Amino acid sequence: MRYVCAVVVFVACLATARTADAQAPDPSVQEKPDLVQQLPDPVMPFVSMPVTFDREQSTGSVNTKEAPRACEGCPPRRIGTSLLQTTGINVIYGLANLARGQVTGRITPKTWWANMQQGWVWDLDDFTVNQIGHPYQGTNYFNAGRANGLSFYESAAVTAFGSATWEFFGETNHASLNDFINTTLGGVTLGEMFHRAGWLIRNTNATGKRRLWSEIGATALDPITGLNRFVSGDSSRVTDKPSDLVPSSLSGVASAGVLWRGSQSSAFTEAGDPFVEVDAYYGDANVGRSRTPYDAFWLRMRFGGGSAFSEARVRGRLFGQPLGKSGLQFSVIQTYNYQNNDAYSTGSQAIDAAIGTSRALSPRTNFWILGWGGLTVLGAVDSLPLGVTERPEEETSSAGQGVSEGPRYYDYGPGSDFGTLARLTRDGREVLLFFYVGRQIYSLDGVRANHFLQHTRVDLLLPLRGPLGLGASAEYFHRRSYYQDAEGTIKTYHYPQVRAYFTWGNR
Amino acid sequence: MKCFRICLALAWFIPVSALAQGLQPAPPSRLWIVAGGASGTLRGHCQDCAQDFPFRHGGALVGNAGYRINPRVDVGADLFWMQWRNESGRIRATAIDAIAQFRPWESTGFFVKGGAGMAFVRNWVQTLGPHPDDSKALAVVIGGGWEFKTNSRLGLQLFAMQHVGALGDLQTVNGPVADVTGNFWSLGAAIVIR
Repeated sequence: MRYVCAVVVFVACLATARTADAQAPDPSVQEKPDLVQQLPDPVMPFVSMPVTFDREQSTGSVNTKEAPRACEGCPPRRIGTSLLQTTGINVIYGLANLARGQVTGRITPKTWWANMQQGWVWDLDDFTVNQIGHPYQGTNYFNAGRANGLSFYESAAVTAFGSATWEFFGETNHASLNDFINTTLGGVTLGEMFHRAGWLIRNTNATGKRRLWSEIGATALDPITGLNRFVSGDSSRVTDKPSDLVPSSLSGVASAGVLWRGSQSSAFTEAGDPFVEVDAYYGDANVGRSRTPYDAFWLRMRFGGGSAFSEARVRGRLFGQPLGKSGLQFSVIQTYNYQNNDAYSTGSQAIDAAIGTSRALSPRTNFWILGWGGLTVLGAVDSLPLGVTERPEEETSSAGQGVSEGPRYYDYGPGSDFGTLARLTRDGREVLLFFYVGRQIYSLDGVRANHFLQHTRVDLLLPLRGPLGLGASAEYFHRRSYYQDAEGTIKTYHYPQVRAYFTWGNR
Repeated sequence: MKCFRICLALAWFIPVSALAQGLQPAPPSRLWIVAGGASGTLRGHCQDCAQDFPFRHGGALVGNAGYRINPRVDVGADLFWMQWRNESGRIRATAIDAIAQFRPWESTGFFVKGGAGMAFVRNWVQTLGPHPDDSKALAVVIGGGWEFKTNSRLGLQLFAMQHVGALGDLQTVNGPVADVTGNFWSLGAAIVIR
């Protein structure tokens, strides 16, 4: 019943806000003449708002009350609706918490006031909840912005709004600083990735069942945009896709195989862990002047191999600029990292500056290398207090379901990172990939230490027939922790890993 | 509080004098500067402390400097400085954040801002020796407000902001206090130069 209520509330939010926005368009827009495309800002066109009143060419009707669209296939621009829907999303998450019996969902004005008086604190939730759960929640806020015609950066502000209001008013827990950062930055990274992936699936020139299924498929990836399109009728309008959501190139490879991991205390495990991994390259991050965030991104997701969902990496380009005629390319990249398996757990949100170059070694062989360095806004790594060698069994909490009382066995802190990626392709197919990333995390919450993490990976790929291929990878994760105790303890952990797999697809 | 009143009074007269001189609003430049004062309230917190910490009050200075990306978005640096006292001494906090300010509706002065950076805390209370303790912290800021005369070179903004500084350990005579965060709420006014 509560879920039904939640859906009713959300649909009511959609409908009410749509009406409100349509009746009260942005005054700045009203001043502009009809059907005039405003010139984009010359410096950063992606954050300016090109405005036009759309004529629905597919139906021939003109709706002068409809909010303005940046292009024919773009959603109407409705700022108020995006904020209202963000609040609706929080209501749904709150009702879901109540339905699950979580005491943190029992919010009242008193708990709101208590949270506002307390301010931000660190929370004690599980690694998965904080590093995957909250970023995913953030994707919904972000896409409430994107679904209502807001730009990438405007939607980032909507994400921060959704996250802050959830932290202060959505739970009885005190507002969590780490949740706010993870939800906002993770929500932006994953949100834009899902939004663009949804637009890849959506076939806006099709009609009938084919169209319906493409819209349903896209809704599975980006529910907020999908629901908005079904409610507004955009899901059946025949238009071209928004041009900035069509990638310049698209490639990917799926791998399935077995993984063996070792540690400093044991050799490789006898029984390997099966895994499935997906790599996707959206757009070409190596070339071009780019001011459109995420017109190029790289995604890696791994299922299995030590846990049900063991790895997610997204590297999205925010800015790209060729450096003269040197062949070098400068980029600013936003990254989201998550690794969680039976040996180690780490996650981070970072902003990097990168320089790369591509060289043709022969008519058939190409080499590309990229180096980067930047700031880790918030990083997390599993960590046990000094003197503790094994993670203890969790005790049953008396505080009620959903209340985390700790202890928490991972540390949080800001830091820095650097790395390199080199790739050799032959006839357009990848044959060798080298990846290295070093990350320093200065722990501000948890065991006081400076953690230095290094992750190296080498992939060798052998094309077989058509899209099929064979692959072998060696991977090495190394952590050195400099504890800030009286003795200045230093501890080192290392986890080698080898993998063998079949591949399908083309990079 | 006195600082806040002065800023408010100053800000009140700026648009009036501009109008009196019959100045035409000049096209805004890409520069974005904000300077003002605020009344601040601080509350500390630590993860394992049983007691509730009291609220402390003091004056604060706020400044932004940066670049106007487009008529709705400014990016730059945010400086927040606050000092307060208690029975045993004084504490001074300075936060420097990378910040973005966004006006959802171009026709109105409503804005929100947010960012992250570093905070520096100098503490003369419960120190181990005669010198103050210096701590560095992860800083995050969120806030909002209203900007008047958004299309002219000189404007005014009223704002409410919340800064947070996550210190890690705070050294005291009674030993280190772990996982300390400080929340700073500020309410103030500032002059905006574009």
